[in-house]
Amino acid sequence: MIANLIAMNGYGIFVWTSFCIVLFACVALYLKTKKTLKKYEKEFVTEFEALSSNKKNEVFNSSKIVRQVLATNSKTN
Amino acid sequence: MFKLFTSSNIYFLIEKSIKFINSIFFIILLIGLTFSLVLSPPDFIQGYSVRIMYVHVPSAWIGLACFSLITLLSIFNFIFKIKNFYLINKSLAPIGLLFTCLAIITGALWGKPTWGTWWEWDARLTSMLVLMFFYLLYIAIFKVMKNQELAIKLSSIVVIIGSVNLPIIKYSVDWWNTLHQPASIKISGSSSVHASMMVPLMVMLLVFLLYCALIFLMKYKTEIIRIKKKNIKRL
Repeated sequence: MIANLIAMNGYGIFVWTSFCIVLFACVALYLKTKKTLKKYEKEFVTEFEALSSNKKNEVFNSSKIVRQVLATNSKTN
Repeated sequence: MFKLFTSSNIYFLIEKSIKFINSIFFIILLIGLTFSLVLSPPDFIQGYSVRIMYVHVPSAWIGLACFSLITLLSIFNFIFKIKNFYLINKSLAPIGLLFTCLAIITGALWGKPTWGTWWEWDARLTSMLVLMFFYLLYIAIFKVMKNQELAIKLSSIVVIIGSVNLPIIKYSVDWWNTLHQPASIKISGSSSVHASMMVPLMVMLLVFLLYCALIFLMKYKTEIIRIKKKNIKRL
């Protein structure tokens, strides 16, 4: 049964190659997107940490997104 | 109404949506793969090569749908000047490009056992290749151009010109004699695909759509953080 599943009457090479290419491309894009997101989150936190404490408070209180990014980053670290 | 589309409102929805998709994705993927690679029957003419349909057709649909959406949002962006629409477009373009490329590659892999050739310069295949080049041009504009306003205008013009290709892709199989078969599934009217093949196709479409949503949300989130980072630098 497994041999039939792999061979698919001679069409296996085309079917499995198609599925593998799709899987590989999707995983590659996912990993690249995740890496870019993490990179920007990290850079954002570094920029935020470099601010003076007054500016930090101002930015922290004025933006919900800033609070969310900092919370996400502290969870992952 | 457009206040709903502010970055801060959307950001919280993105976080929740990513978590939700991550929690259900692998279960649906497993169901989809089982249906398409194990349970689906062979076609009486094409044999088991018909299973390529379960990755080829959703890829082509998503490639077309992304470009249609980008065109629509570019036109809205011209009229209403809503910045989020350009961010959405920028996040959608790589997904559309990926799936257009996958449709072409899996199409070639399907073409070899059924038509006896990997590639043929017929209307459907060539118009899909043209779509891929429009995606590449669209992405290249944002990568190369430093002036954002100009990049948005130029990319919108490229997309609007490229949208002429969309009906050509859709109706190429009806307008010209091509190797590619006519549409088997129609939005209005009957489908010539049997239920035993339709179910795996729809499950795989759902898997692809969930994947697209996940990538889109991650890319959109990255764009929002990038803008916030720029704003912090200005302080």
